[in-house]
Amino acid sequence: MAGLLQNKPLLCDNIPWVEALRQKGRRAFEEQGLPTAKTEYWQYTKPRDLNADDFVMQNSEDYEFLTRDEHHHCDCGGNCSCGHHDETEGIDLNNRLLPFDAYYLYFANGMFIPMYPALPAGVEVKPLAEALADGEAKPYLGKLVDIEKHPFAALNTAYLEEGVFLRIQAGVKLNKPLVIWNHTEVDDENVFYNLRHLIILETGAEAEIFEYSDYCGAEKSRYFANSVNEIFLSADAVLRHYKLQDEAYKANHVALTAVRAKAAARYHNFCFQRGANIGRNEVIVNLCEEQAAAEVNAAYKMSGWATLDFTTDIEHLAPATFSDQLVKGVVDGDARGVFQGKIEIHPDCVATEGHQLHRAILLSDTAEVDVKPELKIYADDVKCSHGAATGELDEDQLFYMQSRGIDVDEARRILVEAFLDDVLLKIENEAIRAYVKSRV
Amino acid sequence: MSTPLLEIEDLQARVCDREIIKGFNLTINEGEVHAVMGPNGAGKSTLSNVICGKPGYEVTGGSIRFKGKNLLALSPEERAREGIFLCMQYPVEIPGVPTATFLKHAVNAIRKHHELPELDTMEFVKMLREEGKKLGIDNEMIKRPVNVGFSGGEKKRLETLQMSILKPALSILDEADSGLDIDALKVVADGVNALRDGHRSMLVITHYQRLLNYIVPDFVHIFADGHIVKSGDKNLALELEEKGYAEFVKEK
Ligand SMILES: Nc1ncnc2c1ncn2[C@@H]1O[C@H](COP(=O)(O)OP(=O)(O)OP(=O)(O)O)[C@@H](O)[C@H]1O
Ligand SMILES: [Mg+2]
Repeated sequence: MAGLLQNKPLLCDNIPWVEALRQKGRRAFEEQGLPTAKTEYWQYTKPRDLNADDFVMQNSEDYEFLTRDEHHHCDCGGNCSCGHHDETEGIDLNNRLLPFDAYYLYFANGMFIPMYPALPAGVEVKPLAEALADGEAKPYLGKLVDIEKHPFAALNTAYLEEGVFLRIQAGVKLNKPLVIWNHTEVDDENVFYNLRHLIILETGAEAEIFEYSDYCGAEKSRYFANSVNEIFLSADAVLRHYKLQDEAYKANHVALTAVRAKAAARYHNFCFQRGANIGRNEVIVNLCEEQAAAEVNAAYKMSGWATLDFTTDIEHLAPATFSDQLVKGVVDGDARGVFQGKIEIHPDCVATEGHQLHRAILLSDTAEVDVKPELKIYADDVKCSHGAATGELDEDQLFYMQSRGIDVDEARRILVEAFLDDVLLKIENEAIRAYVKSRV
Repeated sequence: MSTPLLEIEDLQARVCDREIIKGFNLTINEGEVHAVMGPNGAGKSTLSNVICGKPGYEVTGGSIRFKGKNLLALSPEERAREGIFLCMQYPVEIPGVPTATFLKHAVNAIRKHHELPELDTMEFVKMLREEGKKLGIDNEMIKRPVNVGFSGGEKKRLETLQMSILKPALSILDEADSGLDIDALKVVADGVNALRDGHRSMLVITHYQRLLNYIVPDFVHIFADGHIVKSGDKNLALELEEKGYAEFVKEK
């Protein structure tokens, strides 16, 4: 029985800089502890369930770092008879393909399954542990997240070992989406794991990434998935980053994505949050050079006792930078939706635009939505806007549909779908959009 | 032999604790067209909403039977599937829901109820185009969200289109003529008359005798203060046009 700080063996524990970073993370978490209502940006979402002392952490297996050539390359997603997939214990990879053409990377309970898609030249993927061992991760790790202010990122840093290191070389455009599939399966134990992904797009590189979290297993078991993404976009790079969180109602999912965008780089984020006890997605974007742009969109839909939290922090650090956010939520039962959106325009960042809009629908009397917009503007000649509205489904619209023979539940579903339609259109990839829609 | 379709007996209904329908009686047989005329605020829209089961309308007495069944026990969607259609005085806008999608849901819900196979998209679009053409509704309109940005006349035409494709046994037209120019009025009336086949029935609510030149009623009722004060044939509408309501309301 153990809480969140455990002494579990970690890969690469013989590398001093890695160990030093982990120690720093551990200390930072010890100092801050779990967030309380007093912690900045944790006013509404209360991760008190994570105080439990019965989290089990699994030990990662050493991948026996193969050389590139020896890695198994296969796009079948587990559907072929090459024999390699059978070695991956504990997870059935059969039928683990999404209904669109993509490259797949799989994690099971936070552990990388050593199966590599056949990626085009100029696209490099390896397990984080390998990038720790060869030192390639060093210039990137922890550079975008202040662990003294983000307790869960500190905790994540204490357990650095699992995740991917993805680098796309200058000018390379990935021809298919890359799916990072994070599958959780728990039986009787309450599992805790951490993931850390480093994503680097060099000058002019382009990619689409689809992060997918799903779950199967016992309904009663809790788990805690704590992930951090650090994303580095060089000049003119374009990253479309989609995420679908579709988990068990006892899942605790805390994720932080921190992005640095250089000149004219574009970061498009879309996050759809569905299941979870607590689902928190925080996106920090630093627009560091002129013409850098970010679109940070999200939708959430839930019932039961869930809390789904989408928190953003857009930092305009250079003139002529642009950001736009549309967040829409549908909340039923006793669930709670949280949106905290900060836009900060730093001094002298003229000719900058930052827009933000949040809309939510409450489907029950006990559902709740908390919204905290925060605009900090320290420059002239900027265009900024924000808006928030929370309402209910329109009774007259419901009756109109019923009076045409449409079942009331069907009418509700149609109205909810219509409400979410414009935000889902922010997913530019049609196949991914169709898939996400099918999960709404 | 006339078969009763809708039988309303001593109906009393209230909205927001206000008694609006006060002892209303009406029987509509198969194939009949009844017109109801009455001053503003008499309770005509309230009556149609009560027949269709709109939430917020409380029936405090009396009964409504449709095809012999207790209508008041059915949900609004069940009433629609049984064959009641309300052509609304103020059609509702539904942003984000394309008109065609909405109509397809409605058509298939009703077909399903009658144990008919659902129409696939091809069949549905073909049917919609044909019926739309008759009412001057083009494809562009059908792609737009339900009633959003439609002019008053376009909204009424869309209501008529819905009636044409859903083919209800009883159509209730609540001021289908309001806001229509003469040409549109004819188009809507043609749509309504196309459904008159000796079996389908209509309840036509209007303020103006003019509509009844196009949709000729079998009976005309004057409705005031929550109930019918006088009934007659189509000539009653002409008489009313001449004398105004005051005369009839007094009669009581
Ligand atoms: N939701 C409501 N809340 C309060 N009063 C209502 C409500 N709906 C209707 N009423 C009242 O009931 C009465 C009848 O209204 P109704 O709309 O049925 O009249 P109508 O005969 O259709 O009038 P019009 O010819 O102007 O359309 C009016 O006095 C109206 O104000
Ligand atoms: Mg009315």
